[in-house]
Order: sequence, then C-alpha cells, then structure tokens
Amino acid sequence: MAIRHRSVAVTLPAPARPARWPSVRTRESLGGIGLLAPTVLILIGLVLYPFFYAIWLAFTDKTVGSPGQFVGFKNFAYVLAWPQFTTAVWNTVVFTVSAVAMKFVLGMAVALVLNQQIRGRNFFRAFLLLPWAMPAFVVYLVWRWLYDPLSGLINYALIDLGLIATPIAFLSERSTAMLSVIVAHVWRNFPFYAISFLAGMQTISQELYDAAQVDGASRAQQFRHITLPGLYHIIGVVLLLTTIWTANAFEPVYLLTGGGPSDATMVYTMLVYVMGMMNLRLGEAAAVSTLFLPLLIALVLAVTILLQRKANA
Amino acid sequence: MARTAKRHTRRDFLKESAALAVGAGAASTLSFAAPAVAQRPKLNYWCYQFLKESDDARANFAREWAQKNNVDLHITMVPLKEFLPKITAAIEAKATPDIVESNAVELRARGQLLDVTDLYKKLEKTYGGWVGNAPKIMLEPDGRVHHIMYGFQGFMLISRDDLLDKAGLKPPPPTWADLLVYAKKTQQPPRTFGLGIPLSNQTDAQVWEDMMKSYGARLADDKGKRVVLADHKPQVWEFLDFFAEVWKAGVLPPGVTTWDNTMNNSTYQAGKAVFVLNPITISLWLETNNPELLAKTGHYTYPRGPKGLIQPVTFGSRSIMKYTKVAELAKQFLWDSMEPGKMDRESGVSQWGPVLKDYLKFEVWKKKPFMKGLIEMSQRGEPQGWPDVFNDAWREQFTNTTISRMLQRIVVDNWTRDKAFAETVDVLTKIYSKYA
Repeated sequence: MAIRHRSVAVTLPAPARPARWPSVRTRESLGGIGLLAPTVLILIGLVLYPFFYAIWLAFTDKTVGSPGQFVGFKNFAYVLAWPQFTTAVWNTVVFTVSAVAMKFVLGMAVALVLNQQIRGRNFFRAFLLLPWAMPAFVVYLVWRWLYDPLSGLINYALIDLGLIATPIAFLSERSTAMLSVIVAHVWRNFPFYAISFLAGMQTISQELYDAAQVDGASRAQQFRHITLPGLYHIIGVVLLLTTIWTANAFEPVYLLTGGGPSDATMVYTMLVYVMGMMNLRLGEAAAVSTLFLPLLIALVLAVTILLQRKANA
Repeated sequence: MARTAKRHTRRDFLKESAALAVGAGAASTLSFAAPAVAQRPKLNYWCYQFLKESDDARANFAREWAQKNNVDLHITMVPLKEFLPKITAAIEAKATPDIVESNAVELRARGQLLDVTDLYKKLEKTYGGWVGNAPKIMLEPDGRVHHIMYGFQGFMLISRDDLLDKAGLKPPPPTWADLLVYAKKTQQPPRTFGLGIPLSNQTDAQVWEDMMKSYGARLADDKGKRVVLADHKPQVWEFLDFFAEVWKAGVLPPGVTTWDNTMNNSTYQAGKAVFVLNPITISLWLETNNPELLAKTGHYTYPRGPKGLIQPVTFGSRSIMKYTKVAELAKQFLWDSMEPGKMDRESGVSQWGPVLKDYLKFEVWKKKPFMKGLIEMSQRGEPQGWPDVFNDAWREQFTNTTISRMLQRIVVDNWTRDKAFAETVDVLTKIYSKYA
C-alpha cells in the first residue's frame, strides 16, 4: 500500500541571522549625533527659542502675567509712531559708531605702547584691565559723581585751573550729554580692545620689523604695512563683538542719564526697558527690539564686509 | 593548588552598586521620614527696600514672626526701582514670591493678586476704620480689595527755615508763585539753590504734574478714559508762564534734567537746597546723621495753585500673589503685620503715616515735630494722579514722566510751547487709547 504523505504546513522560525553591529560609519555618525545633541539642544533652548519667542511676542499684546493675543502689526505701528523711537534709532547709531571708533583708536594706541620694552610693562598690562574688570554699576556711578556740576571732581578741576567760571552740567546739557556718556563707556571698555590687540601684536614676528627697518621703513610705515595687516583677523573679531555689545549697552545710559535730558541719550535699550519693565507691556518692548534687529544686522554686516575686503586686499 | 580568584565582572559591579543605591535610598527615606512629616511651611516675602531703619524693622518683625510660627521664611529686599523688572521676570518664570510689598497697582490691574477683601474688612472693624483716602486707594469699583496699605507717604514741602528766617520770610510759602519768590530771595548759588526739584525722566519729577493741576489742568476726563488736556490749554499756559519764571530765575540747581530719584534727597542733605519736595525720608536720615540741619528744617503741605491745593499721597502696601500655595498663612502674616503695637514700634523709624485710626494714638506723632505734616497729609492727601483717575493709563503716563518731558522739550530742546504741548497731548492720547 502506498503511503501517501500528507503535507503539513509547519511554520519554521526564520533562520537566525547573525547579530550585526551597525557599520563603523553608522556608529560614528550616531556617536557624533549623540555628542552634538546636548549642544544643539542647549542652543535651541537658550538661543533659538528665546529669539523666535521675542519676535512672536512683538505680534501679541502680551503684558506681564497675561498670555497675550495676536494683534498683527499693531505694536509696530504704535512703536513707530512713538515720538522717542526715531531719536532712539539715531542715538543708538551715534552711540555705537562713536564709542566703537574711540575704543578702537584708544585701544590700539595703548596696545602699541605696551608692546614696547618699557619699564613696568607687566604692571601696566595688569593695571589696564582694571576698568574692564570693575562692575559696570560702580564705574558709572563714579562717573556720575565725576560729572556732577555741584560736587564733581571734573568741574572742581576745571574751575581751579581757571578754564571755566561756572560749573558745566555735563550730563544735563543736550550738547554734552551724549559725549559724556560715550566717554564713560569708552573708559570702561577700551581695555578689551587694548588687550586683544596686544595679544595679536605679540604673534607678529620680530623679523618682519627688523627687515623693514633694514629697508628704511619708518615707524608709521611699519605700523601700516606690518602691524595692521597682522591684526586684521583680531580686529575683525573684536569689532564684530563689540559692535554688538555697544549697540546693546544699557547700563551707561540707565545709570548716568536715564535717557535724558529730554531724549538726548535715549537709546533703544532704554526704550525697551521703559516699555517692557516700567510699563509692563512686553509686546511693545519686543516690537522695539525686533525693529532694531535689521539695524544691528546691518551694522554687523558693514563691519564684517569692510574687514573682509581689507583682509583680501 | 593555586586558588583562582573569582573574576569581578562588570555585571557584578552593577548589581552591587544598585543594591547599595537601594539601601542608601531606603535608609535616607527612613531616617528623614520624621522631619519630612513636620516640614515647616515656606513663605517667600519681598520686602520693600528704601530707608534702612524702616526696612530693618519690617524685616526683623518678619523673622521673629516666622520663628514664632515655625515658618521657613525667605526675605528678599527689593528697592522700589527694581521691583517691576524683578516681579516681571518672576511672573514670567512662574517663580513668584508669596507676599510682596509694593504699590501693587500694576499687578492688581493684571490680575496677579489674591483677593484680600475679608482681611481689609476685618482690619477696618478691629482698628477703628481707615484713615483719610485709604479706602479710595484700596477699594476697586466692584468693592474688592487686593492690597493692604500699611502706610501713607507722600511729598511734602521741606524747607530750610533758618535761611528763610534770615531773609525775613515766614514759612511756608502759601502759593507756588510765593515759593518762587522765597526761593529767589533765599538762595545763594552755587552754595545753595532755591528749589531742589528734579526735571528729569524719573518719577519724582511728577511734582510738576501736581503743580500743573493746581493751575486747573486735567489730563483725562472723570472716567479716566478720554484725554482732555487740550481743553485745558489756558490753564497749562498759565502754569508754563510760572515754569518759565522758575527756569529763568536759576533756582533749580544745574543738572536737574538728569537727576535720579535720590538727588533731591542728597542735595538737601548736603545743605545745597532751600526747598525740596520729598517724603520725610530726608528728615529721618537727618535725625540720625545731621540733627543740626533737622532742627533748621520745616515740613509743610504743598503750596496752593491758583485753582487750589493738589496734595497727592502715595503709600506702601502688602499683597499676596495669586500663585501662592500658602494663602492662609500669608493672610495671617498680613494680619499680624498690622497689629498696632508692632506698628507703633515701626512708626518711630519709618517714613509711613498712619493708615488705621487706632494708629493715630501713637505717641511718636507727638514726639517728632516733623511727623505733624505726615499726619496732616495722611488725613487730607488725595490718591496719586488726582483729580485724574488713578488707573493703568495714568500710571503709564506717570512712568513715562509725560509732563516733565513736555517741560524738558521747552528748556532743553528749545521747542515752542505749542509744539511741546501738541506732542504731550499726542502721547497721552496714544497711552489712554490703549486702555479705553
């Protein structure tokens, strides 16, 4: 009898595949992503989120403690029509350009002096950092006292020297207020320029100067053709950073003049402070900041392009 | 035979570590279980910082109270100028204190405060009722209360009576025009200037608005909604005539256009001003640091304008943030803080006038002559902004120092009156229309 085989369907387990690690390339990529992830998350949380949130706020009527409703361009229209806004734009540009220029010149001059073999060089280098290391609050209150027309040291000195007959209210006259604020700000911040330039100067080979001297180059020519080109990259970074810092400076104006007299020293940070922190209208304050963003970007781009051209020339 | 040591694998290490961690966790849970049950309630208190003795008195009371009631108290001293930026950040970060000492108006309008009407009524009933315009300041149109005042303060006319006496003048000058006459006759610049009044972008410069109103001007209508300053041009012009005289006379010290809120204090305290408009903080400072000058100092209510007296009062008050988890405890603190015995002790070192009628019995008001003006002001003073309505719109124009800016436009920027006035009306309209 023929035996008929019945076919039975049996589900067999899939043949076990040998466990495979991802390729070296994939592992490296995953490892790289893992290492970068914390930084990216921090950047998103601390930079990108606040940045876009501030822009979003400018389109809402948010006040302190309220969620805020979308109001379109209402805040921008309000802020643009606010009498101090155009003054704040102009003052911010004047303050930033003048202060950066003065800090640059002063910082470069001091760096050149401290790059020479002079007695007590190390002491002066350390001493130079003092204004920059002091708290801004202390520095500007001291300057306020120095400028004071009734008991300030500057007026005492000028009267004693017979240069003026009556005290000058440096911070309270429209003609002198902005310059006085800029001078105080420059005094506190030029050491950063000086130290950065000095560090750069020390990387320039002495041989270049020796060769130039042999060729009969004057000091000015050495500065123009050796020192300055050797510092271009440092100048670029310093100018870029400090243009941003100076445009965003708040303490000098807040502590010295409060934006006055009238609106003579009203810069945009002060306007943001009044609208956001005094009036608690965060939407309007964010609109001021957002409107200043293109100006800040333009300032930064101008500095970058200028230096790039110089470096490539 | 050499004994082979058992290899300690990574798995063994992990097992042991886990066991240790569990053991340590259990031990700590057990050992700290008892204190956790008896954990003290936490209370965060932002205390107004201005005059050291007064601030210390309130902070010390709070510490004693916390010890007595077994409360874990955290005190943060906050200067008035920093209060708004700090509380703004705290609210947005959802890390608010439980109790704040501030003028509370901004927070009340934004619904950030707990209703304390029950406490208001209890205090009123227990301590003989509220003094002067305190109810007007605390009660909202719907009858609810969100902050409890603990003291009045306000600007008074503080004068060098010795110098006035030398000049043959009898204090106080009855009108603003007389004040100018007195100031001109008495001052000896650059040693002393007639009027130590800021004309800057700081809130103390608000006194110019008060002066303007005593000439009959108003910023907004009775509802506090519509700007009516333009309808009061003749009154404003009369005030500007007076202001022009003040400026021309050189009675304001150089630098007033950028003075901050401390400069009027320091100028008077240094003996460089004949008159200042300021709370009695100056006198309390002199009491400790320069009693001789205090003896020569007089304290008076404001002079009158052609249309009457505008004497505003400000105040100190406590509020409970609505986010608090210890509402009852915070209310208890507010209640205990108002106890007359405690307030009596504080009044001797503080700038605050009495807010409850039982406080009027304190001996301190009789002991210190300069307190007389404070009592008068507490009983008669009107809320800030009066005769305008003290609302959000008024408050915003106040922080913008709108009237002081108008005056600065004229004397700093050399604008014509018409141009400066038009800008002021425009700014006020912009602000008020947001709240209409």
